[in-house]
Amino acid sequence: MNNAKLNRRALFSALIMSLIWGNAMAVNAADTTTGQQQQQAPTQQAQQRPAGGIGYEKVFPKIESGKWTGPRLADGQPDISGHWSNTIANHNNFEDPQGGVPGVYRKTPLGPREERAPSRVSDPADGHVPFQPWALAKVKEFQANFSDPVKPEYVEPLARCAPAGIPKSLYWHGYEIAQYPGYVVFFFNSGTRIIHLDGKPHLPDNIKLWNGDSRGHWEGNTLVVDVTNQNGKALFGREGDFISENGHIVEKYIFDKGGKRYNYEAVFTDPTVYTRPFTVTIPARRWTLEDDKPNGWHFEVEKANYKGDKPIIDREERICAENNGGFGLGAAGK
Amino acid sequence: MFLNTNSKKNRGAQSRLNSYLLILTGLLSVILVSGNAYADGKIPRLANGKPDFSGIWQTTSAADSDLEPHSNRQDAPPSAGVVEGNVIPYLPQALQQKQKNFEARATDDPKVKGYTLGVPRGIYYPEPFQIFERAEDINIVHQFGHSVRTIHTNNTDHPLDPNDWWLGDSRGHWEGDTLVVDVKDFNDKTWLDSAGNYHSDALHVVERWKYLDANTVEYKATIDDAKVFSKPWTISVLLYRHREKNFQLIEDYRYTLDYDQYYPPKPDQK
Repeated sequence: MNNAKLNRRALFSALIMSLIWGNAMAVNAADTTTGQQQQQAPTQQAQQRPAGGIGYEKVFPKIESGKWTGPRLADGQPDISGHWSNTIANHNNFEDPQGGVPGVYRKTPLGPREERAPSRVSDPADGHVPFQPWALAKVKEFQANFSDPVKPEYVEPLARCAPAGIPKSLYWHGYEIAQYPGYVVFFFNSGTRIIHLDGKPHLPDNIKLWNGDSRGHWEGNTLVVDVTNQNGKALFGREGDFISENGHIVEKYIFDKGGKRYNYEAVFTDPTVYTRPFTVTIPARRWTLEDDKPNGWHFEVEKANYKGDKPIIDREERICAENNGGFGLGAAGK
Repeated sequence: MFLNTNSKKNRGAQSRLNSYLLILTGLLSVILVSGNAYADGKIPRLANGKPDFSGIWQTTSAADSDLEPHSNRQDAPPSAGVVEGNVIPYLPQALQQKQKNFEARATDDPKVKGYTLGVPRGIYYPEPFQIFERAEDINIVHQFGHSVRTIHTNNTDHPLDPNDWWLGDSRGHWEGDTLVVDVKDFNDKTWLDSAGNYHSDALHVVERWKYLDANTVEYKATIDDAKVFSKPWTISVLLYRHREKNFQLIEDYRYTLDYDQYYPPKPDQK
């Protein structure tokens, strides 16, 4: 072939190759950047803070799902990384969070129900988990035996260092939310949840996990998470509510405009335990060194050994080791 | 088109140029097809330029069966070991303890109870771990026990008032493209492998993490412990990136197996 033709052909291929090369560079540049923290939203006026101890909010704002206008990470996720904790009580009582463990002796009797924070069951309106009769009987049995658990099934599993599971992890101690390309990771006090954002399929159904298997995606200000493969063993808390290994949860973490609060609204479905699906609502707020002091429940951090101007916090190791004999060996003195 | 001439004199130069262009496009296509054509040529990096070890990793070595060279056993494959110099330099009394551990390994190995594996054992244990890396820290989530170790890469130092932690306290810095991690403030409750090699709460580990290529990491750890060893010693293993489609960690809690059959409640059998 003549030189001109060869010349054009060679140049043409070079041009195509450089276009492909350029695209590959752009794609790889996107792949290799990760969640660099962007500028945080300016600190808002501090709200009412508990003076140490566990939060005791009685009302909390509704947050609507909608657009996110706050800072974003390099991969496009809304930047909500940081330390978070729930604002209402702990795992004593799921339907009456500030009402103490059901059936346990109280020195001062409880006042009227309306004076305390609402049930974590936001739907149905009566605030009760819609248990099937057999399941409700089991819950009552757990409550009756909680103070003197003579059988293993009456021991609340967190007491045995089991992971707190879903949803109990959200109202157990404070936790850190970390974000990476393709992941949102919850580092809980007891357990870790890895939320996959890349749309990979769920694990096969016969694998059952304390924290389930989570697939999430962002819709504006809302992280939507589909949870399957639960083992149901963590229980919801000291009142004995539960979901089974047949359960399915669809969660929404709805973040407010300033990125200082979120509400967890999740629909729990389990045709072997409940008479209908129900909705769980749990409020949470962000904890920062600027606005808060380290706290033995909500904000378990310490100032790091650091010589720079701005203080940095360390989150301590969270490993719980029971007296690992077989069940009862500790009590039997073996 | 350049070199747009048909003169005899330039025909040679022109065909050389054509050849060069063809070779160049050939080279470009080879690089693209190789599959890992990152901008700087080799390894994944964070936006700040530091190597990014994010991903799911696992060794294929038999290090956890026994760090030292050994023939096969009922409970271990043979291996030439991963210890530089082959022999772990125990103090004489500590060696006796090691031998006691070895005899009792079927019951006394902390992994049997599902305890966290500790450092550096979690790195060469035969189960995957996932690295989540950002500029200020590297979080390692081990599938076994779902333990989390945080390596702080934010110019902070070990705490002045430390506890004795299962995974110690890890502070990392970069030497070129090598991550150097200083780990100390341990308890004495973990072992270094399944053969009874152990440490005290004076354990101190210096790790060196370095990419050999985009899917292979060389991991070295220098271990010293004045209560157990007469001098520091070094191990080295290779870590391979899990690239199976949809591969993910699956939480592996062992200690809950003792009691988890009692939860959740089930309907009574009729």
